[in-house]
Amino acid sequence: MEKARISSIQLFLLLTGFLYGSTVIINPALGAKNDAWLAIILGGVGGALLMGVYVSIALLNPSRTLVEILRDRSGKFVGNAVSILYIWYFVHLASLVFRNFGEFMVTVTFPETPMIIVIGIFAVILVYAVNSGVEVMGRLSELFMPVVPVVVLIISLSLITTRDFTAFLPVLENGMAPVLKAAFGFITFPFGETIAFLMLFPHLNQKGNLKKIAALSALFLVVLCLVIFMRDISVLGSGLMQQATFIPHLTSLLIPGLNVEPLVDINLLIGGGTKISVCIYAAVKALSQVSGIGDYRKLTTAITTFCVVLSIWVYENVLEMLSWAEKVWPYYSIPFQMVIPLILLFLSFKKRVKPSNVRNGS
Amino acid sequence: MKCRKDKYAVKIATLAVSSMVFLLLTGCWNNRDLTEINMVTALGIDRTEDGKVLLTVQVVEPAAIQSTASGKGKGGGAQSKPVFVESYEGETVFDALRSMLSIVDKKLFLSTAQVLILGERLSKNGISEALDFFQRNHEVEYEMDVLVARNATPKEILEMETDIDPIPAVYIKGTIENTVSRAKAKRTILLDLIKDMGDSGRQPVIGQVEKAGEKEVRTEGAAVFRDGKLAGWLDPYETRGYLFAAGKVKSTIVNIPADNGKISMEVIRSKGKINAEFKNGEPAMLTVRVGLEANVGEYEGKGKLDSPDDLHKLEEILGDEVKKEIRRALDKAQKDYSSDIFGFGTQLHKYHPQYWKKVKDDWNDTFSKLPVDIKVDAKIRRTGVIKGPIKKDG
Repeated sequence: MEKARISSIQLFLLLTGFLYGSTVIINPALGAKNDAWLAIILGGVGGALLMGVYVSIALLNPSRTLVEILRDRSGKFVGNAVSILYIWYFVHLASLVFRNFGEFMVTVTFPETPMIIVIGIFAVILVYAVNSGVEVMGRLSELFMPVVPVVVLIISLSLITTRDFTAFLPVLENGMAPVLKAAFGFITFPFGETIAFLMLFPHLNQKGNLKKIAALSALFLVVLCLVIFMRDISVLGSGLMQQATFIPHLTSLLIPGLNVEPLVDINLLIGGGTKISVCIYAAVKALSQVSGIGDYRKLTTAITTFCVVLSIWVYENVLEMLSWAEKVWPYYSIPFQMVIPLILLFLSFKKRVKPSNVRNGS
Repeated sequence: MKCRKDKYAVKIATLAVSSMVFLLLTGCWNNRDLTEINMVTALGIDRTEDGKVLLTVQVVEPAAIQSTASGKGKGGGAQSKPVFVESYEGETVFDALRSMLSIVDKKLFLSTAQVLILGERLSKNGISEALDFFQRNHEVEYEMDVLVARNATPKEILEMETDIDPIPAVYIKGTIENTVSRAKAKRTILLDLIKDMGDSGRQPVIGQVEKAGEKEVRTEGAAVFRDGKLAGWLDPYETRGYLFAAGKVKSTIVNIPADNGKISMEVIRSKGKINAEFKNGEPAMLTVRVGLEANVGEYEGKGKLDSPDDLHKLEEILGDEVKKEIRRALDKAQKDYSSDIFGFGTQLHKYHPQYWKKVKDDWNDTFSKLPVDIKVDAKIRRTGVIKGPIKKDG
């Protein structure tokens, strides 16, 4: 185990950046149309609970990464097998975020640049960040993450004159069903994806704060998403919002006499960068532990290259990407985000409770 | 310890700088210099008789503008025209735009376009199909002004050369922008048009532009649409009535009759609100409420203007005048065009979604049959530098 340590505030910022990640451009909660605000709140509550599960697992198995927990609780063979599944999941997640990022950049900023160039250059920087270790990633987030809410605030305030504050009405026009569906989507993306942090939690220097950090960052994300949603719908109206490919980008285009479009790109770079680097870190760390390679750095370049290639292969077009994120991803994620962690939590509890029972009995 | 921190700071700075460099470098992939593009200042689209798109562009020559600007001071000399106008037919807007390169040398750059002029024939056939390109293309500014040409094709409007500004598009944009101080033309930016077209509870209204002479255009009045098709026109006063009801009047001059003459009232503030009153689950009456503040701007006559009572009388007359204009606009919208330009439908959608679901599809017909109650509350605040008109033995 490397001795890298990150502080509470760094973990909070990493977690927030991870959650914010590609939610900047694709937000599954928006499937609920005008009622997305409700979906965001409900999804946020659900997501916070789910993160609570991961945090509990981490607290019940102090100083253990996901791979070690899996091995401890379910035996070496099953543990390794499930770990490999998780490695795939993290790699897949990283390449999806890569693709989101590339697709966005190519659509709005560099329409004639091949996407592989955009993604590739981004990947080079992220490999550097991941190889520099968790401490550097934490400090990077300290440096960059404060920019995110500032940008959101700048864009929101610039548009305050051209708004229709009642645009989100009527409430629940189509009933609760689409809201619940969207809320579920919002739980799995981005909250459920924080399962990757089980590879990072052992580095936190004050374990006691873990619960607070997770809850705070979930709250922070919900507030941020609500602000963004209210801004977008009050500026664009619900009709245009449903047709926009990348909503915040379109909103940012509307500020009169000021081109703040790159600010959205910056937000995506920061959020997406945090998310991808955490995913890649989790994947290579897990792989190094499963395969017994001492230093995860040897694997980073290879895995990242694989992610880049996968990100190009994974979708044929932009609409496939958008509908996949909304329709397939939530169900694909269920075993990784809910089933296995819940089993793990159950196993962790059982093993912890048992010894004390034995002691009481004797 | 401090030394180590510094080292990390340097590392982070290097990373930040290099990432910026990387990102900026990728931006050069399709970098185009000013000399390699044609800057479009205005666009016009119309339909030909056989249903094709006729696209007209007005392109500015930056070098020529500089020479005209300096040429004026020197009193003439050989001048090249600062803009050129070209038209091309195509199956779609994008097709026409690209195909036009066969007669225009450099690629057409759309982000600089200020005005989009829609032709009458296109408007009658439906505008939504032709506007898709303008929503989809990432170069197009959503802030672009949209106008409908009346009694002239967009090409004719764009080809006019004016003495007022070297670039005609800037001149046209200026005349529509200054409607904030006269309120007799509707200013519609592309974004608002797109929003209205996607909203079944509100029909779009677009400002009208026509030829006023050989060298001038006039932007007055507005075109009313219904389901994406041109339904008819509003004259300048009806347009103002519409704008009052929609709460979009910033400032304007309203003339009212007075003792022995007339008064021009300068409206300085105004807000409008529309609503629907419900009875037994059905809207029984539509309401328009307008509140405005005005100053006496000019008194052409011999009356007196000393006491508050004088102003109260004028307030009533002013209120009635504005009410008349709103009524005229409403009559046109309800009886002649059957098009809910005011957005009563949107209001119903927001606050009475259940009822809206029932009437959504034929809302415009329902709207046409509903009675409307208009109330205008006018306040006159000031009379300017003098009180009453100056007269002998006053």
